[in-house]
Amino acid sequence: MRQEVLRLENVCKRFGGIVVADNISLSLHAGDVLGLIGPNGAGKSTLFNLISGLFRPDTGRIYLEGQLLTGPLHRRARAGVARTWQHMRLFRTMTVLENMLVGPREYPGESMLRSMADTGSLRRAEAAARNRAMHVLERMGLAHTAGTIVVDLPFGQQKLIGVARALMNDGRCLLLDEPMAGVEGSNYETMQRIVRDEAAAGRAVCVVEHNVSFIKDLCTEAVFMSYGRILQRGSVDDLTQSRELTELYFGAADA
Amino acid sequence: MEYLASTGVLIGIYIILATSYNLIIGYGGLNTIAHPIFFALGAYTAALLGIDTGLPAVICIAAGIGVAVVASVALAVTTLRVSGDYLLIASLGFQLGLLQAVNNLDFTGGPAGLSNIPLTLGGPARGWLYLMITAALALVVIWLAQRSMAGPFGRAVRAMRDDEVACAALGRGPFAMKVVIFAFGCGAAGLAGGMYAYYYQYISPEQFNVAQSATILTMVVLGGLGTIWGPVIGAFVLVALPQAITFLQLPSSLVGPLQGLIFTSLVIVFLFLRPQGLVGTPVAGAAP
Repeated sequence: MRQEVLRLENVCKRFGGIVVADNISLSLHAGDVLGLIGPNGAGKSTLFNLISGLFRPDTGRIYLEGQLLTGPLHRRARAGVARTWQHMRLFRTMTVLENMLVGPREYPGESMLRSMADTGSLRRAEAAARNRAMHVLERMGLAHTAGTIVVDLPFGQQKLIGVARALMNDGRCLLLDEPMAGVEGSNYETMQRIVRDEAAAGRAVCVVEHNVSFIKDLCTEAVFMSYGRILQRGSVDDLTQSRELTELYFGAADA
Repeated sequence: MEYLASTGVLIGIYIILATSYNLIIGYGGLNTIAHPIFFALGAYTAALLGIDTGLPAVICIAAGIGVAVVASVALAVTTLRVSGDYLLIASLGFQLGLLQAVNNLDFTGGPAGLSNIPLTLGGPARGWLYLMITAALALVVIWLAQRSMAGPFGRAVRAMRDDEVACAALGRGPFAMKVVIFAFGCGAAGLAGGMYAYYYQYISPEQFNVAQSATILTMVVLGGLGTIWGPVIGAFVLVALPQAITFLQLPSSLVGPLQGLIFTSLVIVFLFLRPQGLVGTPVAGAAP
């Protein structure tokens, strides 16, 4: 049995009268690539926000590798929840490499005094992070962009940098929010390869995506969400062939 | 020549103020306008200690820095959880409220201020001595700003400025970083205040009002937000310019409005034509 990485138990969240997460229970194992599909407003991104700590659940618990996940965003990132954003949220005045170097979980330069003292151990940690960043960029074929201001890159490459930055976290859980929106051609291939490699390395990956063929190519399983609830979990083929679910997704044919 | 030295001291004090304000607003992206009040806290603490206890100036000025830091942490802990426009308003309230208190309390001398600050480093070379000390302190503040922003801490601070949520989601807690740069910047303003009080031997509330925020902000914007040398150049230009205008020998009824006109035009022209300031590199995606 592969190790369980992420577990959600009866997670509920409402904003006023709108239920955005309705008793969500979910389990992800090392090596899983789970697709999260459903119509707009189904609560897919909200689920990511609940796991990564942007929102706190009203009730329910979330565990990472058996440990209860609590606290704000930065604590959960340090526990090993890495995520990307649909709109990338890159640091727009900074270079690609600088964007990457904000990402390591262990960051000895967080203290201003330690950062200014520039000790040997700090310099070694920085050099190690730099090497790791360059290695991740090489895997994406983007090593040559390291010194470029990130918003000067083409859109597809910015999407890849968003994922690359999250990989600097090196946590067990990787949440990808619409990684393929606006990505095509060779960047599409790269994205697929990276996601596969990360899962093979023992990470639990969860992907919110509207590109069904991407999900089909990549995901072992998928979850269909609607109105904050998980309606069904199963193989991607089962879900896309279900008449009931496709009607929810695309609207009923006779509507 | 004394005139040159005194202009130099003023430039040095403004370099400290503009550099520290730039750390907070330019690098940290924390929109506060309450910088003059920390300048005032440093000045008043140093002056009152000097007058009442006769302790050496170094100790009085150090105490001024301490009070500015403590007050800034108090403001930070209560208001830095909000950001953007809310912080701007909270800082405005802090600036106006505290200065109003200084203006009305007895022990601060009220609107008349404090004028009997002990003479320190007297003698014919006084101006030049102060110039050297202020210049050295300004260099130290510039060096500290450069050191702190060049390394991994500065990188995380700039990331927070660009996108606080994304930065937090990578593991960098924004709150601690905000408190630290705020305390550091305000402590430096306190240092500038202490130097100011001891050099001029006279302080009054109107020297620390909101107009002072505008002056320091103009220096930072003109020189270049988020750059090390921008605020330094801004301080030179904005101290030297009014002095140059007085050399034109215009009637005094014209000088005041003319200065206001030039300052305001400078800010508008720079924000439209060169938002990165004199020394900044153009920000990607900004208007050319």
